[in-house]
Parts: sequence; C-alpha cells; structure tokens
Amino acid sequence: MLILLLLSIPLLACGLTALVRNRRSMEAIHLASAVVSFGAAVLLAGEVLRQGTVSLFNGFLFADSLSALAALLTAFATLACAPYAIGYLRREEADQRLAPSSDSHGTDALPKLRMYYTLTPLFVFCMFLAVVANNLGVMWVAVESTTLASIFLVTFYGRPTSLEAAWKYAMIGGVGLSMALFGTVLTYYSAHQVLGGESMSALNWSVLVAHAPQFDKSVMRLAFIFILLGFGTKAGMAPMHTWKPDAYNEAPIPIAALMATAVLNCAIYALARFNALTALCLGPAFSSRLLILFGLLSVGVAVPFILVQRSARRLLAYSSIDNGGIMVLGLGFGGPLGALAMLLHMTYHTVTKPLLFFCVGNAQQHTKSDSLRAAAGGLIHALPITAPMLMLGALAVTGTPPFGLFQSEFMVLRAGFAGPYMGVAIVLVAFLVAIFCGIFHQISQIVLGPPRGVPREPNCPWKTVPVVVLSILVILTGFWLPAPLYQLIDGAARILAVHP
Amino acid sequence: MHFWQDAQFGNRMITLMAALLLVLQIMMVTQRWLITSIRSFALQSLLLACIANTIAYYNNAPYIYAAAALMLVVKVILLPVHFERLAKRIEVHQEIEPLVNAPISVITAGLLTLLAYVVAEAFHRPDERVGAASLGHNTLAVAIAIFLIGFFMMLNRRKALSQVLALLSMENGIFLAAISLTYGMPMIVEVGIFFDVLVGGIVLAILVHQIRDTFDSMDVSRLSRLKG
Repeated sequence: MLILLLLSIPLLACGLTALVRNRRSMEAIHLASAVVSFGAAVLLAGEVLRQGTVSLFNGFLFADSLSALAALLTAFATLACAPYAIGYLRREEADQRLAPSSDSHGTDALPKLRMYYTLTPLFVFCMFLAVVANNLGVMWVAVESTTLASIFLVTFYGRPTSLEAAWKYAMIGGVGLSMALFGTVLTYYSAHQVLGGESMSALNWSVLVAHAPQFDKSVMRLAFIFILLGFGTKAGMAPMHTWKPDAYNEAPIPIAALMATAVLNCAIYALARFNALTALCLGPAFSSRLLILFGLLSVGVAVPFILVQRSARRLLAYSSIDNGGIMVLGLGFGGPLGALAMLLHMTYHTVTKPLLFFCVGNAQQHTKSDSLRAAAGGLIHALPITAPMLMLGALAVTGTPPFGLFQSEFMVLRAGFAGPYMGVAIVLVAFLVAIFCGIFHQISQIVLGPPRGVPREPNCPWKTVPVVVLSILVILTGFWLPAPLYQLIDGAARILAVHP
Repeated sequence: MHFWQDAQFGNRMITLMAALLLVLQIMMVTQRWLITSIRSFALQSLLLACIANTIAYYNNAPYIYAAAALMLVVKVILLPVHFERLAKRIEVHQEIEPLVNAPISVITAGLLTLLAYVVAEAFHRPDERVGAASLGHNTLAVAIAIFLIGFFMMLNRRKALSQVLALLSMENGIFLAAISLTYGMPMIVEVGIFFDVLVGGIVLAILVHQIRDTFDSMDVSRLSRLKG
C-alpha cells in the first residue's frame, strides 16, 4: 500500500495543479505533495527494514532495501527543492523572466508557473516508478519517461540556448536509452531460454536474480555493454556526458538540482541492478573492468573542464559527472566494500548537491549572471547567508574531511586498493586532488574579496531556509548517520555485492 | 498440408520481410525528400507489424497481435501523420546536404550490415530446434543492422525532423530484435514502450516546431552556441 501511496501522490499533485487557477494554491499543492511523499518514502523504508521486501500486485511493484533507499533519496531531493522552487520562481517572476515569449506585452507568468508545477511532480513520479518497478522493462519505460517529462523543463526559459540544450538532451538521451532498451531485450532473451516465455514475471528482478547464473553467457555479455552505454548516458558518463552541462545550465535551478541528484541516482540504480545480474552470470571481472573504465574516464574528463570553467552551473554539472564517475568506480571495484562506498557516496551526494545548486541560484539571481568571471568576488558581503554556505558546500562536494563525501570517497579508494586495481586508485587520487583545487579556486574567487558596492540582497526565507537546513544536514551527516538509514544502506549494499 | 500451415514457409516470409526492412532503411539513408523519408518510415513500420502478425500466426502467440496492433496505430498512423502535418506546416521539403554524401553513406550502411552479421553470428546455434533461436539468426542480424544504420543516419542528418525519424527507426530495429528473438517482451512492457514512443514523438515534434520558430530553420548544426 505504501508503494501505491508513494506513486499516487505526485500524480495527484500533477492533476490538481493543472486544475487550480492561482499561484498560491499551486505552491501549496507542490509543497504539500513533497512533504507527504517524503513521509511515504520514510514509512516505506521503515517497512522494508522490518520485513525485508515489500511487494504489491503480485510482485509487479516491489521494494527491497535498494529501492527503498533510492526512493528515499529521490523524495529527499524533491522535498529540498520544493520550498526553494517557490522562492526561486517568485523572484524570477519579479524579475520578469517568466513572461510568455509569444506576446511581448504580456507579463502573466501563470502559464510558465503552471508548466513548472505540473511537470515537476510528473518527473518525480517517473523516478519513483523507476525504483519500485520489479519488471526491468517497466523500469526502462520509467527512466525514459523521466527524460520526456523533463524536456520542457529544460526549455523552461524559451531562450535559443535552452532549445539547443533540450535538443541535445532529447537526442543523446534518446539514443542512449534505445541502447538500454536493446540491452534489456537481450537480457530478456538470455533469461528467456531458462525461464520460458510469455510469463509476466520473466523480466522481474526478483525472478531474474534467482536464475542469473544459468543465463546465456554470450548474450548477457552483449546485453551488459548496451546497458552500460544506455544507462551510462542517462547518468552522464563520459564520453556520453555532453548533454549534461547544457541541460543543467538552462533548466531552472530546482530542476537542475533534481537532475543532478535524483535522476543520477535512478540511472546508477538501474546500472547497479543489471551489474548484479551480469556479475552473477559471468563473474564479477567482466562488468568490473568496463565500469572502472567508464568511471575513471568520467572523473578524468571532468578535471580540465572544472579547472577552466567560466560558468558556475556548468562547474556543478562537471562536478556531478565527477561524482557519478566515483559512484560507478565504487560499483566497479566491487565487493561488499565497493557497493557500500557507492551507496554512501550516493546518499551524501544527494544531501550536498542541492545545497550547491541553491547557493549558486541565489548568487545568480543576485548578480543577474551565471558567469564566474563577471561576479568577480565579494559575494560574501552581499549575500551573508548564502555565500559562506556555498563555500561550505564546495568543500563538502570535493570530499574534504570531515564531510560525508570524504568518508565515502575514502571508502571507494580503499575498495580500489584492496582489489587488483591499485593503479586505478592512484590515478583517481590525482584526479580528485585536481578537482578539489579547481572547484575550491573557482568558488572562492566569487565568494571572497572586497565588497563591490552592490546593495545587500533582501532576505527571502523561501530561498535561505533550505540553504541553511541543508548546510546543517551536510555538517551533521559528516559525523552521524541515523542508525536505521545506515541499516538500509547496508542492506542495499548486500543486494549489490553478489557472490556467484 | 497447405503452405500457410507450414512453419518453414512462415520463417521464409519473415526473412523476406526483414530483408525488405533493411532495404527500406538503406533507402532512407540516401533519401533527401523529407515526406518520402516519413513515408518510408511508415512503410517500414507496416512491414514490421506484418512480421509480428506472421510470428503470432505461426506460433499461436495471440498477444503478439496486440503488439502488432499497437505498432500499426502508433508508428504507421499516428506519428507519420503528425510528422507530415508538421513538415507541411513548417514548409521544409528537402534535406540539406548531409555531412557524408550519398555513395559513401550507402557503403557505410553496407559495412554496418556486415558488422551486424558478425555480431549476430555469435548467437547462431544450428543444432537447436526450430523456434526462436533458429529464426533469430538472420532477423537478429537485420535488427542490429537497422539499429546501427539508424544511429549512423542520426549522426549524418542535420534536419531536426530527419534526426527524429532516424531515432524512431533505431527503435524499429529493437522491436524487430524483440519479436524475432523472444516473441515480444511481456505485454506490459510492450505497452509502456509504445506509450513512450508516442509521447516521445509528440514531444520531439513540438521541440522541432519551437526550434523552427526560434531559429527560422530546422538545421540543427546551428545549435552550436553551448560549449565547454
């Protein structure tokens, strides 16, 4: 029942928002749905901790620790974005950036607001469906739907550059996901010979995982390559990452934050499920090598772009490519330690990344520019709350102790050194140091410095409270992770760390 | 025994239609008229629906008829009609010079077909009984070839609508692989995929329209302002 509740709330919010007429009720529905779905996700996690797995409709919907964790993280990111979006969009409206592009004299922002408040819950619904679908084909459908639901959120501002970003997003994502579909078809084929055809459950994860060692090995090998390219594109792995900086740059800040956390998690989640099947069928070495190759490439590609970046949001996009790469590396290093490190990294990243996006959004609305160069420092005087938090977030996201991401990156490295991949781990350390220098340098350039005579930004609680709360959480999770949450992560890691 | 009851005859029909699919795909590579491309795509989808019907008939798999019906509605009727109306409204008829010229495109398509046969050879098991596996060999090669040629077409084309058609023809390749290897995915997945294809086609058409309105052109090589 909880799964159904989790799925129906965003859909209900989407439908209700389409009906109401004024801005205030849209905002209220948006906020309420985010709060209630977070509650539902927490309850679902509790249920999973008590019972192990929860399933519904004859196993069509299914949640184990991994699903519950991914749903919880998605719900958390949505909850963080909801209040911020209200403040952010009000400010955009005041700055007259939401006027419909077709008639220049109109200043009515309502159509755009309605688009935002209806499409965002739909987007969230697709992500929830992706993680609670037992059938891997339905999971694919849900992941593809996240792209479709978010295309018009990327073109939200209707600028020529946003159309370009949306086109890249749609085309690269479309090709990527069609590869993932091919991989899913091939997985079904390799399982088909063992399980027999035509049954509804033949693509269900809970059935597949029990029979994975008997699958056709040569088909499974080809299937995993397609799956890796496909869901890797969705996760923004290099060299299929090129849509990511553009989309993050053009979408509204809360959507960029959702894409950098929840969508990334969904893609990695799908990859991890298939990786477990492949490892069961072929032994861990085959998929590990491929994952390590793509993971290391992603971290490596991010380095030069972070060092010379001019736009703050693109900087965050490359940081997200880098963090996605670290997660994939954790998965590739494998073993119980690698899987645990990957999931911890996912959790800490989901707490930290929205903070950075919100701070950059506040800075951008204040300076009217996204450029790191145009801001030219001194932000700390104009934005006394946001600017220090931006610094804090930058330290946290680059894996500086004592923040959580330091622990998880350290664990990824430990998993690397423990296995036969010592060389990879050494290269990874070098990349991480370079990324730390790049991000710290870029962010401190805009935050620190003498005042520039720009008046102080009036305090807007919708925009500052999420920032403050997230910073507290970032600091807190560095020292203390609630025991049930750790139990959930540990349970999920056991699902991924398979022993053939 | 009548020939329409002979499974061997069914297999030959399927192989023939799969070959026609491949021919249509290679024709689309060189085609410069947008309307013709859209109609080739519709014809390709129609053939695919026929293949699905044939498989359903010879293997007594009634639920494949449903997949074929979905194919007919979504990819033969709804999307092509929608695209043709769009092409007429934005008054684009001809593809501008593709990046690679026609002769080299055809040679590339041929090489990709060869590659597809090499990949599909790995799955060929002559010792297995008649069924999915023996049907799979030839049709799987065609499916992979259609997928790869579609990918090449996407890279080669510069008109936004042609790229969408290329993406959809890649999906046709996957559908062929799915029905010829496994007699289709589970029904719920099939419905979901067609729903995604339909929504995706409409969303992309709207996006094409917006690009056309903003840039006064459908040439996606003008979309090159975002870098780094």
